[in-house]
Amino acid sequence: MTATLEKTAPGPGSAESGLGAVPSFQVTLRVQRYLPTDAGDLPAGQDVGAPTPGEYRWDEFTLTMHGTDRVLDALHKVKWEHDGSLTFRRSCAHGVCGSDAMRINGRNRLACKTLLKDLDLSKPVVVEPIKGLPVLKDLVVDMEPFFASYREIMPFLVTTGTEPTKERLQSAKERERFDDTTKCILCAACTTSCPVFWTDGQYFGPAAIVNAHRFIFDSRDEGAAQRLEILNDKEGVWRCRTTFNCTEACPRGIEVTKAIQEVKRAMITRTF
Amino acid sequence: MQIHQYDVVIVGAGGAGMRAALESSVRTRTAVISKLYPTRSHTGAAQGGMCAALANVEEDNWEWHTFDTVKGGDYLVDQDAAEVMAKEAIDAVLDLEKMGLPFNRTPEGRIDQRRFGGHTRNHGEAAVRRSCYAADRTGHMILQTLYQQCVKNEVEFFNEFYVLDLLVDHDLAAGEVAEGDEVAVAGVVAYELATGEIHVFRAKSVVLATGGAGRIYKTTSNAHTLTGDGMALAYRRGIPLEDMEFFQFHPTGLAGLGILLSEAARGEGAILRNSEGERFMERYAPTIKDLAPRDIVARSMANEVREGRGAGPNKDYVLLDLTHLEPAHIDAKLPDITEFARTYLGIEPYTEPVPVYPTAHYAMGGVPTNIEGEVLRNESDVIRGLYAAGEVACVSVHGSNRLGTNSLLDINVFGKRAGISAARYAVDAPWVDLPEAPAALVQAELEEIRTRPDGERVGDLRQALQETMDANAQVFRTEESLHQAMDDLRSLRKRFAAVSVQDKSRAFNTDLLEAVELGFLLDIAETVVVGALNRRESRGGHFREDYPTRDDEGYMRHTMTYRRPLSTPVAGAGGDVDGSFSGSTELDGYRVVLGSKPVTMTRYQPMERKY
Amino acid sequence: MTTIADPKAPRAARPGPGRRSTRGNTELYGWVFMRVSGVLLLILIFTHLWSSLISGEGISQVDFGFVAGKWANPFWQVWDLTMLWLAMIHGTNGMRTIVNDYAEKDSTRLVLKSALYLAFTVVVVLGTLVIFTFDPCPAGAPMDLLPDVCSDLP
Repeated sequence: MTATLEKTAPGPGSAESGLGAVPSFQVTLRVQRYLPTDAGDLPAGQDVGAPTPGEYRWDEFTLTMHGTDRVLDALHKVKWEHDGSLTFRRSCAHGVCGSDAMRINGRNRLACKTLLKDLDLSKPVVVEPIKGLPVLKDLVVDMEPFFASYREIMPFLVTTGTEPTKERLQSAKERERFDDTTKCILCAACTTSCPVFWTDGQYFGPAAIVNAHRFIFDSRDEGAAQRLEILNDKEGVWRCRTTFNCTEACPRGIEVTKAIQEVKRAMITRTF
Repeated sequence: MQIHQYDVVIVGAGGAGMRAALESSVRTRTAVISKLYPTRSHTGAAQGGMCAALANVEEDNWEWHTFDTVKGGDYLVDQDAAEVMAKEAIDAVLDLEKMGLPFNRTPEGRIDQRRFGGHTRNHGEAAVRRSCYAADRTGHMILQTLYQQCVKNEVEFFNEFYVLDLLVDHDLAAGEVAEGDEVAVAGVVAYELATGEIHVFRAKSVVLATGGAGRIYKTTSNAHTLTGDGMALAYRRGIPLEDMEFFQFHPTGLAGLGILLSEAARGEGAILRNSEGERFMERYAPTIKDLAPRDIVARSMANEVREGRGAGPNKDYVLLDLTHLEPAHIDAKLPDITEFARTYLGIEPYTEPVPVYPTAHYAMGGVPTNIEGEVLRNESDVIRGLYAAGEVACVSVHGSNRLGTNSLLDINVFGKRAGISAARYAVDAPWVDLPEAPAALVQAELEEIRTRPDGERVGDLRQALQETMDANAQVFRTEESLHQAMDDLRSLRKRFAAVSVQDKSRAFNTDLLEAVELGFLLDIAETVVVGALNRRESRGGHFREDYPTRDDEGYMRHTMTYRRPLSTPVAGAGGDVDGSFSGSTELDGYRVVLGSKPVTMTRYQPMERKY
Repeated sequence: MTTIADPKAPRAARPGPGRRSTRGNTELYGWVFMRVSGVLLLILIFTHLWSSLISGEGISQVDFGFVAGKWANPFWQVWDLTMLWLAMIHGTNGMRTIVNDYAEKDSTRLVLKSALYLAFTVVVVLGTLVIFTFDPCPAGAPMDLLPDVCSDLP
């Protein structure tokens, strides 16, 4: 642990350098734009500069940004100071709500957790919508198929019998068993980084499996058999090719691929 | 335009909204309208925990919890509501556990509890372990668990629908509805983000659960989407807002960014230090030190900085020291917030103290309700069918300063109550007719902004608003600074009339919605400033440097802020805010009229607040 | 204006990704087969390589006679047959997976998989036939090229 610490921990006094005289730098942002064909009537003469409906296009913006700015800050700067029509989802802006998953320099990340200074700024920062879900406008994709898969795996505690008057007991160890997968914020970064999902939107995808895992391994839950049944599908866990894209993409650091493997193992031990 | 009809419509899908939906949807036909996907709601950002006197780890009872809540709110708490909350807290936590919430556990397998700011044993003797938690992700777990239950119960959601108007059968804003007259809600008007289409939802009951308004400030822990929509909708329709001057500043926001670092850090033993390394909270709150309520800690921090003991090159923050805690302990109990420090400031909390400064966090005030969640339109009359719960509401359980963890409690206890009340009312109540052309006002406003060719930028105005609020209506306030804020708000309101957007399309026009949200923010900011000008005392989250002490004689009352036409007769002399709860102030085209409401006291008489 | 539906009435099915349920153990068995056959193939193939190329006189011993000699022995017949079938099913299933992963259109998938299954059938049928119908001592062949077993024949 200490070895990794030494690598990542900044030296003493870095608080000063991070917060004091904030250095500014130039960033070129290259954003994919898309306006749907049924975007509605544009008032006459006011559609100048807007993307042509139904076509993808790249826009470049050169911005002056500062030390702790994130990609989301850059997008906001564009929207608030340059082009108000740039459209993306965002809410909490610190990586807990899961609104702003996008493809930044070819990798799925949350825009609010990606610091500009950590990117290679000698080249334009390329921002695209996440892949595999229909693009609705600019960086906004249709999340419905994603949530539909999530809903299908029974993402809720299933119990039988009478409820106890107080809490159900669970040891700290049993609680620890599924801790990793409780962190999921349903941002879709994992599912839309999966090559299988890209070509086959029918695949349940890592996020749905992660949320099934969260309940399958919860000692209080009694619905594991049904969930395993649901995921024991041509489009279920067996489509996972362990490319680890999902684990790499997860902004919450969930070991997604490992969780999928654990669900596979549970299915096999159940069958044999 | 589409018209929908539901018995109960819930506006907002955060903790309070979904808790209400779980109750309402099993009783009657219910729709939840949310401007975000439910799991994006800001309940998910809450970290530290949810207090309930379970007494799982040490002696505790709900009466102590009530006392702490009342004292924490500097006695401006309605004590009947605080009793309800503390009593029902226990079931609220157990309900969540039964829904599957993965709480941290004690060695015996019970729900674990930890210390939190302002929560004490036996009326202030020492800090007590009362907060039930799931690492530093309690809010995330609550939001996920409630959403999971909504999936299970097949609750109907309208996601990415913005509610832009509240339909009431009387024009309250005209100020001509007499006391005692029956007023009922008829529904809401919503805007579908994906298509730009207008939807009218006719409903017997409407539950407002839209959350807070932290974005009136620049440095805030709140999401970009927390723009006070529900409060502003009610206010525009002539419903008063209560206690808006009380805004909580959370002591430990990441310096310069405002991102929240939970009080749980201090609950687990972290210490605040100034540039000299001194544990300065020992001077301000000798008994519970760093675990004093948030208003006191935030003010102490701001004071250290003002007196030149701030850390950093500009001496503009203090330090949160976790370095004496075991890394393993930090990883187990505070994994997220330490990651925030690493990600956003590049600081390793194991070895270095984290720069922190107060950040706008929570609106204690809001739409006035009683303990059943029914919305009041004056001191005593309810609006039939209209309910509110969560941060948008003011019950008032938080008084002038909310204790940490009590907001997660508030949403669960009063969300549940509002959901039950709304459904019960809707089952028997008659339908109220929709007004003619129910969406006309909204459509006209949207079209005007959307098609205005050139004008002020939303971003510029919002930035100016946030800057003046940060500079003039933050932790320290004076008559002068508040007048400055009021002047700025007046000029911003004029500029807002000329606001235009660049996105002219109908699909996903977030540019347009940001303009609408800016309008809401301006409304909320004006109620905060007017309330703060009127309250010439210091209490809880409201600190007036020119009136630094609490004045129970003059101000042990809730502020009620009404928007009324200019023609409304005003009781207060001179017609300006004069510190008497009867003044008013003129803005462009309308008047902000003040009133008050008595504080309900049951067990506890006001005492000096020392920790 | 709509009338209010009974809250207990079943609601319309929600829009899903339009997935047909294809539940069952097929893919599970497929997954297990790939791993088990993979391990077996490692043993089968490396033993085969060792016995053919390394043991005895090494590579120089391999000729018609050598192969014919092996296949005269039922042990090696079964060995090679197992190797053939496992390798072919393993490979074909792998190819099927790749086609499923990378072919985007249903029609492409159909064409590629048909070709794959045809190739599988041809190779497996031919291979099996050869192993079982192999004649180690074809009539009229020069004796020096035939295995020792042939000289024992009348």
